[in-house]
Amino acid sequence: MERRSLVLDEQEAASWIRDGMTIAIGGFINSSHPMAIVRQIIRRGVKNLTVVGPASGGLDLDLLIGAGCVRRLVTAYMGGEHYCPVAPMFRAAVERGELDVWECDEGMYYCALRAAAQRLPFTPWKAGIGTSFPEVNPDIKVFSDPITGEPLLAIPAIKPDIAIIYAAHADPYGNVQHIGTGFGDRALWRAADRTIVQVERIIPNEEVRKNPLATSLYGVDAIVRAPYGSHPFAAPGYYIEDAEHLREYVAAATAYAKHGDRGPFEAYLRKYVLDPETHADYLEVIGIKRLISLHEY
Amino acid sequence: MARESARDFTTKELIATFIARQVRDGERVAVGAGLHVPRAGILLAHLLYCPNVRLYMVMTFTNVLKEPRMEPFYTVTDFRPAKWAEAYVLHDDFQENPRLVSNMFVVGALQIDPYGNSNLIGVGKDYRRLTFRGPGAVGTTSMAHYVDRYYLYVQSHDRRIFVEKCDFVSTVGWGEGGAEGRRRLGLPDNGPLYCITPLCIMDFEPQTKRMRLQSVHPGVTVDDVVQNTGFELIIPEVVPETEPPTAEELRVLRERIDVEGMLRT
Repeated sequence: MERRSLVLDEQEAASWIRDGMTIAIGGFINSSHPMAIVRQIIRRGVKNLTVVGPASGGLDLDLLIGAGCVRRLVTAYMGGEHYCPVAPMFRAAVERGELDVWECDEGMYYCALRAAAQRLPFTPWKAGIGTSFPEVNPDIKVFSDPITGEPLLAIPAIKPDIAIIYAAHADPYGNVQHIGTGFGDRALWRAADRTIVQVERIIPNEEVRKNPLATSLYGVDAIVRAPYGSHPFAAPGYYIEDAEHLREYVAAATAYAKHGDRGPFEAYLRKYVLDPETHADYLEVIGIKRLISLHEY
Repeated sequence: MARESARDFTTKELIATFIARQVRDGERVAVGAGLHVPRAGILLAHLLYCPNVRLYMVMTFTNVLKEPRMEPFYTVTDFRPAKWAEAYVLHDDFQENPRLVSNMFVVGALQIDPYGNSNLIGVGKDYRRLTFRGPGAVGTTSMAHYVDRYYLYVQSHDRRIFVEKCDFVSTVGWGEGGAEGRRRLGLPDNGPLYCITPLCIMDFEPQTKRMRLQSVHPGVTVDDVVQNTGFELIIPEVVPETEPPTAEELRVLRERIDVEGMLRT
């Protein structure tokens, strides 16, 4: 008998994602996004997704929104830090009334995932009393604490059908090792029904056993190998974000957000997402010189 | 301590010094990546006055007292400062105890009202049709709730930011005002201490909890502040100039922290 390998390619993994699902995407703002799978979701033309971003979302989610995949978004921030203060396609979609935002802050966001992981209807939270959150997000209810009688927020569970996470390494059997903190990825993994992890390298099981303390997620459902797979975002231990590429994206998306000109965004989408058929084709478009210039130091 | 004031400094360096004087030794302090001025201020406090500060910086926990010169970083996900890490901070530990990462916090805003309630959600009367969609609250709602002290910090001072009423409130300040403003909401008494802008420092008058001018930066008049604030500020009879950096503070700031000169622009 053989132990079953969980390794899939990005096409097989993305075929798990279907219209109308709730999917969670890991990483944090400008780092550690499973971009090989994200681009494949766009190529497949998946629609009406509820996307649970990281606690603070970045331009990976902006791309999904601009490509028309997202109906509802759950995150506490949408921007690119110094690359852009507010994510452009997100801003355009919200201001045009085309995107529902599940308004929350980072604390509330983790409450929703925690409730899902624990199969509870909600997590109580104090921060946010006296704010507009219960008004702009009607899923959040103010209730009276049965112990002290003081007001509390009930943050309802949000359960992802699938979490898609980026990490440095995994063995073929679903043992995943991040480099660095892993941001909030564990919360997505705990809450989701199934988890797909896209990695830079697949390592032998013997390597995992050398340092089980480094295993950050275990028992995940699929592993996708995609070197440079977080590009244009950073990958701790491997490469920093591609600043030039991110500026190119922001310029294209801003042309739509500020001037209603969708041409540059469509051109970006064609060049970097729709025309390359696979992740390897995408890397060829970016070019080896650019990729190997993105050293971490 | 003997203070020899510096003569030539920028407003950003002045603000960094003000923030440095808010930090207490032994505290945990979150250092944001994107807000260069508060970051420089916290590091200045650490390197000069607070050797035992524990910094929550770029998803790590660290102490950089012996670091001769801080390499610049621009994003909260920049992995390179991890070379200083004594621990990684798992971001999903957030709701376990936000106070484990910081005793103080700096909150930015699109709008701020007279009682220090602030808005990062967006601008517009109808939430379904915002005229400007903001970035979102990030962690400000929860961090401001759990820390001992928080500060409002904005990078411009005008009537679009300082408004009679925020379109939405993402971080509660002193509520509707009054000494009981927060307690009436069932909240602890840790509302914003100061509001820091490129023109001035403001605090909150203890009885009404309305914003009050505390000091103006060099070259700024009280009238400049009044003209650029969209609500009535409390103006004390005497408004001093914001205390300048010392020569030593400026030296450490320039040689060890702001090595790229971002605060000098």
